[in-house]
Amino acid sequence: MSYLRQIYAIVWKDLLLELRTRERIVAMLAFAVLAGVLFNYSLDRTIVRPQDVAAGLVWMTIVFGGLLGIGRTFQLEAQDGAFQGVLTSPAPKDAVFLGKTLANFVLLYFVALLVVAVFMLFFSLELGGSPGVLALTLALGALGFVALGTLFSAVSSGTHMGETLLPILIFPLLVPMIIYGVSATSRLLAGRPVSEIAGNLRMLGAFATLGVGAGAFLFRYVVEE
Amino acid sequence: MSISKLRRWGLILASLGILGILVLQALVFFWVPTEATQGIIQMIFYVHVPAAIVGLYVAFGILALTSVLYLWLGDDKLDQAGVAAAEGGMVFTTVVLLTGPLWGKIAWGTYWTWDPRLTLTLLLWFIYLGYFLVRASTQNPERGKRFAAVVGIVGALDIPLIHMSVLWFRSLHPGPVVMKPGSPTLAPQMLTTFMVGMFSFILLFLGLFALRFALEIASRTAATRARAAQT
Repeated sequence: MSYLRQIYAIVWKDLLLELRTRERIVAMLAFAVLAGVLFNYSLDRTIVRPQDVAAGLVWMTIVFGGLLGIGRTFQLEAQDGAFQGVLTSPAPKDAVFLGKTLANFVLLYFVALLVVAVFMLFFSLELGGSPGVLALTLALGALGFVALGTLFSAVSSGTHMGETLLPILIFPLLVPMIIYGVSATSRLLAGRPVSEIAGNLRMLGAFATLGVGAGAFLFRYVVEE
Repeated sequence: MSISKLRRWGLILASLGILGILVLQALVFFWVPTEATQGIIQMIFYVHVPAAIVGLYVAFGILALTSVLYLWLGDDKLDQAGVAAAEGGMVFTTVVLLTGPLWGKIAWGTYWTWDPRLTLTLLLWFIYLGYFLVRASTQNPERGKRFAAVVGIVGALDIPLIHMSVLWFRSLHPGPVVMKPGSPTLAPQMLTTFMVGMFSFILLFLGLFALRFALEIASRTAATRARAAQT
């Protein structure tokens, strides 16, 4: 089996599993909508306009909601030892990592788009002039996040602290994504020209490349027995 | 190098470091001129900056290097050296995080600000914390060592990006006065005092590093012996 087909097999298996159980996606989506409800009551609209802080809220919801799902990447398979089967398959470890990351990316990107849609509805946000660039910003940020998230989810599920360890390991590393992602998103939502955020997109791209590259290389040492 | 040799070198270096710090205190209190604009509060610089250079660059550099080499070669010594460096690094970073706000309260009027260097130091402190937490919460020690090395490597790779992003966010911190292109802008006496501080902190760190390294080797040997005795 070629490398790409091996990745594809993992992605398809993970997505099919998710489609049948719907555990992680339901948890993430419910979290996103309910976080929006709580955010609504945590803002005094006579003092702050939700539009001004929306970009930050969108990204924090993606990060917290995403951790719920990504932290459980290896949960289902770990329970009955199925992950051993995946590891003993002829697929190289980096293909397993890329497959898992890609499947997580599909889930998280879906959640991210829905978060934006829900926040538009709740806080009457305008999308700004370039929704395509906004979608790209979210995609690049989400890719870096799921890559590091998948790697450290494998780490944390190998410890007895489990998912509680994940935020401590990953939050310090997410600072670049939050800084460049939030500033790009708030400018786009405010209708500023795309040229203003070209630098942000490059840095988000660098962050995603680093996450995917480091994860693909280091994953073998994490799952090694 | 044998444990006793490591221990001897550790004691010598750490003692020289402590001696140097006593000399540094004497220089700071009795010799170096008081800085014109900041006044007496600037003196904290002679402790703060050496601690930062040791905690952020020397210790983390050793940690990143030993993490890469450990995953590559799998030699237990490399992991032990990584632990020793990380522990020293965390202590010195804590010194930076304690002395910085004391200076900041008077110089800037606030204990904390989201300056790039402050943010980076704080995040680095948490990366050190993660390094110890993954080890402590793993039943299989071999696994814990690999997890910790992965934390060290990803941290080292991400730090340039974190640095660029927080720099881009905003900057308030005083610019470099020693390590910058051209000649240093410190007065000669201040530079001498700073250099004494720098060398003392590096000696102290290397001494603590060697002592901690020796302790780690000894404790693992003892643990292996205890396990062997049980079976």
